Amino acid sequence: MQGTHYTVRLPNGLTVVAEHIPAVRSAAFQFIIPAGGVTDPEGLEGIASVVEGLAYRGAGDRDARQLSDALDALGIHRGGGAELEYATYGASLLADDLLAALAIYADIIRRPHLPADQLPAEQALALQKLERLEDSPAEKLFVNLRRAYYRGPHGRTSMGTEEGLRAITPEAVRADHERRYRPDGVILAVAGRFQWGELIETIRSLFGDWEGCAPPTPDPDTSGRERYRHIQQETNQEQIGLLYPSIALGHPNYYDMRMAIRVLSGGMSARLFTEVREKRGLCYSVSAMPHAVRGSGSILAYAGTTPERCQETLDVLIAELRRLELGVTPEELARAEVGVLSDLVMQGETSRARAGGLARDQYLQGQVRTMEEIRAGVKAVTPDSIYSFLQAHPARDFTVATLGPQALEVNE
Amino acid sequence: MKFQQIVLDNGLTIIGESNPDALSMAGGYFVRTGARDETAEVSGVSHFLEHMLFKGSEKRSAEDVNREFDEIGADYNAFTGEEYTVYYGAVLPEQQLRLLDLLTDMMRPTLRVEDFDMEKQVILEEIAMYKDRPQFTVIDEARSAYYQDHPLGQSVLGSAESITALQRDQMHAYWRRRYAPNNLLLALSGNFDWEQVTAHARQHTRGWEPAASPRDFPTFEPRSRVHVVQKDSIHRVHMCFVSPGVSAQNDERRVADLISDMIGGGDGSRLYWEVVEPGLADSVRLSHDEEDGSGAYFGYASCGAENAQEVLDRIRRALTKVMDDGFTEDELARTKRKAASALVLHDETPRGRLFHVGFDWQYRAEHRPLDEAIDQYLAISMADVRSFLDRRPFDTSTVVALGPLTSLS
Repeated sequence: MQGTHYTVRLPNGLTVVAEHIPAVRSAAFQFIIPAGGVTDPEGLEGIASVVEGLAYRGAGDRDARQLSDALDALGIHRGGGAELEYATYGASLLADDLLAALAIYADIIRRPHLPADQLPAEQALALQKLERLEDSPAEKLFVNLRRAYYRGPHGRTSMGTEEGLRAITPEAVRADHERRYRPDGVILAVAGRFQWGELIETIRSLFGDWEGCAPPTPDPDTSGRERYRHIQQETNQEQIGLLYPSIALGHPNYYDMRMAIRVLSGGMSARLFTEVREKRGLCYSVSAMPHAVRGSGSILAYAGTTPERCQETLDVLIAELRRLELGVTPEELARAEVGVLSDLVMQGETSRARAGGLARDQYLQGQVRTMEEIRAGVKAVTPDSIYSFLQAHPARDFTVATLGPQALEVNE
Repeated sequence: MKFQQIVLDNGLTIIGESNPDALSMAGGYFVRTGARDETAEVSGVSHFLEHMLFKGSEKRSAEDVNREFDEIGADYNAFTGEEYTVYYGAVLPEQQLRLLDLLTDMMRPTLRVEDFDMEKQVILEEIAMYKDRPQFTVIDEARSAYYQDHPLGQSVLGSAESITALQRDQMHAYWRRRYAPNNLLLALSGNFDWEQVTAHARQHTRGWEPAASPRDFPTFEPRSRVHVVQKDSIHRVHMCFVSPGVSAQNDERRVADLISDMIGGGDGSRLYWEVVEPGLADSVRLSHDEEDGSGAYFGYASCGAENAQEVLDRIRRALTKVMDDGFTEDELARTKRKAASALVLHDETPRGRLFHVGFDWQYRAEHRPLDEAIDQYLAISMADVRSFLDRRPFDTSTVVALGPLTSLS
């Protein structure tokens, strides 16, 4: 029942990855353009998101309104935005309209008008999003946690800075698009119902004559990690975030890591939920998950709790992360395995989820994983293999950030 | 696709839409109870009770419930609203009876005092969490302002005070009235075995006692008003505007949906061009909430305090213009197309499909196959839209603005 996979690298460097899912009536696609916060020019932080926003304000032979109407006329549900490492442009829709939609996105990505008179409005929106961060404590926490963890561009946010956003000019926008929107490095992932032959021919005709190579993405630098950063803010709940180094997708022990984190935080019987919420009632939300940028893998943990209980919450959270290195039980691993395998089958029922997964795999490790590969990887994990992995990669060297009324002690 | 339905002797209704080609199945209990069915004294009990159902029964401890869901690889959760509490899971077909056994057993919880006291802390944390999110609190404030004394204005979470004061026995009494089999629906979708599932449910709900589970439908008269909640610790103005809509039982509800999509369904809608495209507000949306016996439009915008009046004025002008001049044929055609693709995408999985199957039955006692639902959207004409707008729904609106501002007119 699993879909057929296709991977093609066009001569200009654009990589197409696709998964055919015959049982659905929909299709979804996602472009990854390596134009995110990390490659924003110094002094113009935030320009990736401004360019992405402007790309929809007219492209090809359509003005902003005609472009928007054309997307709506195909019943497209739009997705995407500028992120830290790249910008994404995505759509999900009825399968019959896939090729027509790709033609419009070729205009948006390759031939946006980037109108100078629309720049002030786009800047105003970007500045408002920055301000909105102040009303979103969890999101603001993660911005600060990343800043404490990465040195250099990976510590940025794709939202940019006020100074950077204000410094953007129409010329800078055009130059930035010219520099970073280049096919070598771009990924196009497609999932759902399609005919491969006509799909790849359409993609070739829309993108085959595009030329050039995007500037390289810098390597993440985690050498100067801060240990603790606190943001004082009078919130009802203290926000607690924590990052520590681990391994990346493609590492031989990748599935040991995935299964270990699933034992920690995958479902309501997982350790964090059980120890922090069920047994102690400390939190509504508590979780841990792999956090990846290309070239570096880490683990991200989060909890939100009222100030009276926040020190205890952080202590229990760290204790549970540390306890993991004592190993997991066969029952815990069995639950983690069945959960991952079951999720896999269910993700395979939706084109949207698959398109995103394919694009992300291709970006992080330069190839997609088929369902069969993931299944084999998961099945090879044993309590012993997890134990060896955790001995080699214990939960240590935490970077902790908190946001709220109270600064905390980090007791490793 | 085959639809089946049965009512057991104890009053429990079971429905299922089967799709033998699906790779998974989903099942859920839809309980006809929520914030609107609470008295002020037990405000928040429906939602708290939803949490307590995961704490186990005579047969299962809290740990058992959590562990068993994970053992069968379920994608599961529960949610509580103004009118319904829903518990659901999606699993691979071979786990369907274990999923069902667990969900059915959860409907008969023990409500142990020590679990109750522990979970109370979690609920208080959840209340604190939402207090830090003005984009959510403004909607609660607006709901309450719009509905006034009508039960649909009641808060799902309750308040820290009402939750702190709540006693285990009050919750138990509420449960006994509201979780009677005649007030529950078991809905199934995807690749399941109807005979096995119904036999299992019949056996495991034997002896469940029906009870009277009434719901009040008082009348109320929406009024226009503007209410400012000044809070200087918030950086943005979060604005919610509410106008009368139609009920879940009203045949015009799809017309009402399309109108909200055309006005505020995202990028490309009327309000987007009015306030987001020029950079005045960073987001705006309008949706139509169809409810049991009534309905309302809920709008939301977020902007800087200096733009709040301008944003509100522009939204009002856009709504008036819509009522005066209507929409274009192209606008309607595009929006219908988007509604159709949204339905297909949403219902692609048994888990997504479950909610349409379940709520169609709960609100209207009907089964509407996906293709029929799509056709109903596609059949809506400009005349349908016009006659809806002629009743001028947006002339009445309750506006609540939360943030660093002192006044708004």
